[in-house]
Amino acid sequence: MNIVQVKEVKKTYIQGKVEVYALRGVSLDIKKGGFAALAGPSGSGKTTLLNIIGGLDLPDSGDVAVDGSSFSGMSQADLAKMRLNKIGFVFQAYNLIPVLSAVENVEFVMLLQGLDKVERRQRAKDVLDDVGLEGKYDRRPAELSGGQQQRVAVARAIVSNPSIVLADEPTANLDSKTGNGLLEMMKEMNEKKSVTFIFSTHDDMVMDYARRLVQIRDGEIADDIVK
Amino acid sequence: MFVQMAWRNIWRNPRRTTVILIAVVIGVWSMIFLGALMRGMVDGMIKNGISTLTGHIQIHHEGYRKDPVIDNSMLDVDKLDAVLTEVLPEGAKYAKRIRVNTIASNARHSAGLTLVGIEPEKEKGISFIGEGVVEGRLLKPDEKRGIIIGKALLDKFETKIGRKLLIMTQDTQNEIASKSFKIVGVFRAEMEATEKNFVFISLKSAKKLVKLNDGISEVSISLAERGMEGEVAEKLNAQLGSTGLKAETWKELIPMLRAYLEIFDGFMYIWYLVVFTAMGFGIVNTTLMAVFERMREFGLLKALGMKPSWILRGVLTESLFLLVLGAFLGNVLGFIFTYATAQTGIDLSALAAGAEAWGLSRTLIPVVVLKDVFMANFMVVVLGMVVSAYPAVKAARFTPVEAMMMN
Amino acid sequence: MPIDITMAWRNIWRNPRRTLLTVAAIGFASTALVFMLSFQFGVYDTMINSSVNIHAGHLQIQAKGYKEKMAMRYAVADPVRMGNLLNGIDDVKSYTYRAEGFSMLSSSDRTYGVLVTGIDPDKEKQVSTIKSLVRKGEYLSSSNAYEALVGSLLAANLKVGIGDEITILGQAKDGSVAASVVTVKGIFTSGIDEFDRSTVQIPLKTFQEVYSMDGAVHRVVVVCKSLKSVSMVKAALAEDISGIDEKYELKVFDWMEIMPGLLQSIQMDLISGFIMYIILVIVVAFSILNTFLMAVFERTREFGVLMAIGAEPGRIMKLLLIESITMTSIGIFLGMALGSVFSLYFQKHGIDFTGASEIMNQMGISGLMYPKLTLLSLFTGPMAVLFITSVAALYPALKVKSLRPVEAISYN
Repeated sequence: MNIVQVKEVKKTYIQGKVEVYALRGVSLDIKKGGFAALAGPSGSGKTTLLNIIGGLDLPDSGDVAVDGSSFSGMSQADLAKMRLNKIGFVFQAYNLIPVLSAVENVEFVMLLQGLDKVERRQRAKDVLDDVGLEGKYDRRPAELSGGQQQRVAVARAIVSNPSIVLADEPTANLDSKTGNGLLEMMKEMNEKKSVTFIFSTHDDMVMDYARRLVQIRDGEIADDIVK
Repeated sequence: MFVQMAWRNIWRNPRRTTVILIAVVIGVWSMIFLGALMRGMVDGMIKNGISTLTGHIQIHHEGYRKDPVIDNSMLDVDKLDAVLTEVLPEGAKYAKRIRVNTIASNARHSAGLTLVGIEPEKEKGISFIGEGVVEGRLLKPDEKRGIIIGKALLDKFETKIGRKLLIMTQDTQNEIASKSFKIVGVFRAEMEATEKNFVFISLKSAKKLVKLNDGISEVSISLAERGMEGEVAEKLNAQLGSTGLKAETWKELIPMLRAYLEIFDGFMYIWYLVVFTAMGFGIVNTTLMAVFERMREFGLLKALGMKPSWILRGVLTESLFLLVLGAFLGNVLGFIFTYATAQTGIDLSALAAGAEAWGLSRTLIPVVVLKDVFMANFMVVVLGMVVSAYPAVKAARFTPVEAMMMN
Repeated sequence: MPIDITMAWRNIWRNPRRTLLTVAAIGFASTALVFMLSFQFGVYDTMINSSVNIHAGHLQIQAKGYKEKMAMRYAVADPVRMGNLLNGIDDVKSYTYRAEGFSMLSSSDRTYGVLVTGIDPDKEKQVSTIKSLVRKGEYLSSSNAYEALVGSLLAANLKVGIGDEITILGQAKDGSVAASVVTVKGIFTSGIDEFDRSTVQIPLKTFQEVYSMDGAVHRVVVVCKSLKSVSMVKAALAEDISGIDEKYELKVFDWMEIMPGLLQSIQMDLISGFIMYIILVIVVAFSILNTFLMAVFERTREFGVLMAIGAEPGRIMKLLLIESITMTSIGIFLGMALGSVFSLYFQKHGIDFTGASEIMNQMGISGLMYPKLTLLSLFTGPMAVLFITSVAALYPALKVKSLRPVEAISYN
């Protein structure tokens, strides 16, 4: 079953006075339980594609659907609801709300979903345990290492059982050992909990881990390999 | 270089600079404009006080002010004239008066008021009565029975022009002198109290009434401009010497006005300080933000070998630009507002009784006083620089390593 | 605690220096406003009370026309009837009768024209404070003696002391000549120059005899139990006297109508004060607007993340508003506390304005001035600060509403 369906997506940006094509008509399907990477050099359009899949940005033409719901015609509020319930995000850095502790950061999504406090707290702790942060619940982001912060971000992304988790260069700010650990953990989540992960990256390590590698160049899919 | 850098730096975040600039502009504007309005109020009070028969300087018999009776009159008028002609600067005018407390009555009413014998043609430019007659006619110099009274008194006495008014007073022989006068004119004044408290007859008929052959009770002097009166009064007193006469300025004659002027200065500068403090917090905060944002930059500059004192100077230059620009715009706005309101003045007639209680005119016209403008700008710019020293010192103290470590 | 409040509180202290400066600015403005308003209210109270207590009373019953013309014929013919009416009104504290006639006063070597007032010594002392202001001699003793109480400046002008005689010469109510000789019994100083220069009081019965008043008076002066009950008493009294058939229609005036200058000078002072206060509040608002703006722009990326994980812009706006209002509230609270402390301190000890006594005397105030902290003076200024700063906070918060997640996340 295709959890993500991208059809003929085009996107241009105005940069200064020049129109820049970010995506020139991309079509892509990703299966449920996938562990896929969108790879390419910076400026290739991979981050734009990831943002469009995540409903952070809307295409100029074409359509995107996640878990069967098409984004076209959705309002900003609908998109926010969509992101809240079906999509998890992990960014390159500064993922966390600095004034909230690790467990509060994870809880925050469930709070937006309107879950009650006891359930929220328990699930957040469980997920933090899963990502290897037992006992670090009450640390604030500033008191966690870069790798630990990214683990909290992953925990927050998966805690509400989204259809997909989008990770934009999650390892870019980490040393290779920490990055490796993070990827190992995400892979484990993918296998144990069958969470669908989509990365955008130019890190070889991420590409190695991915089971499907989509190469993007100049706003088009150059290569699509299923390992 | 410094100047250019500073100028460009303050416009790196135009929104933030604009916001703090607005705070400074509104503050300075209010200092200039409200300051001018308040000065206008005080100035109106002084003008009122001076034109209500005070003048810039008055000469009396030295006992007159304590005991304003006809006994304390000045008898050697020729000598007085000689002194005045010698001492008074160009453009000065003077008028002689007899001023006595009287009781005025008609068939239905009576009231205690001040009777003033004047030289009608000489009062122009000295006191309001020179031009204050709005109905009927002016007094003639040799007027025998004519009297001019205020509009408010006319209404209160239920009388009109052509009717009689009986005047009773004490003459030089301590007898009650009384005489019937005919109302020939009606005057209006800034304040109702003036209209109720004064009636005017010619100097000649006043002399006859109180049996004062050639004496007068006061000389009122008006100078071409306010400000010289202290000096002139001193010269007059030197000349008058032992004649038993004394010249006094309006400040001595109306001590309340002088007191007003004094506490007013204090009040105004306290108000300036309060407004400055309100904007001072914003200036410090905004400059701090700008400094902390550029910590890395300062670290880099230091690494390049820039001395801390240069950084200090740089940040202070930025503040100076901000303050001077804000003060400049505030001044311009303040003057525009002052100029616009000065055309017609602000009408206080809705609060006429209140204005009268304060001794104000019915129209408030703003007055720009250079001292206030200077003080406002000085306070904003200089104190503004003083409070900016804190963020500037912070910036100068960042060590390169510390600065590079940020973020 | 709800998470929004927790987050707002923690966000406020992310940059303690900035927050403290902002809170200090708001606190300063609030303190200044509370104190200045309390001070103004205190001065007004003193002005009203001294005028009311020394002379004017809260209410006066007069014949129509007397207030404007002050002619003797406009008299209240049956004052005792008024007294009976007043006895029946609960909120009336005390009342007295007065009659007035303009006369020539002569001592052995001076003559002045003055309004002579006839007062009922027993009733008057419950209405006016003059009895306590007698500096030389004594207060009037009985209601029909030929004696006088004279203001200190008038006494000086007339060159009279205790025991000296004054000749009164005026016009009686019926048009005949009113003449009498009274002895100076007491000299008082109220501190209000105008009043001390123009007041001479003699017993009412004496006055009525000398001026052929035939039992009539010119003013029935009423003091109410409090300033607040004045309008109620006025209404009750107006109804009571509306049916009375006297030669001249009777009217009730309150202190504001009797002394329009007092009310308007208060209004004028209030208006000019308010203009200054509003400008101060606006300057403060711009001074702290940058803090609110920074709170948004520094955290744009953070808001981007919040949006990405599903928070709607409205939620973030709410968070920002809670932050700025919390900050403002701390400042206002501190300001109210400090302002109250200052006001209460000076309310107890007074502020010395003796250097400006000439002005004070003219306005009817003497000696020390006392601020008066009231609910109104405590809340008006700070609420204005709260309102204007909330408006200022709205601008950056609204910016968030139009923020798009992608732009926010890629914001440097």
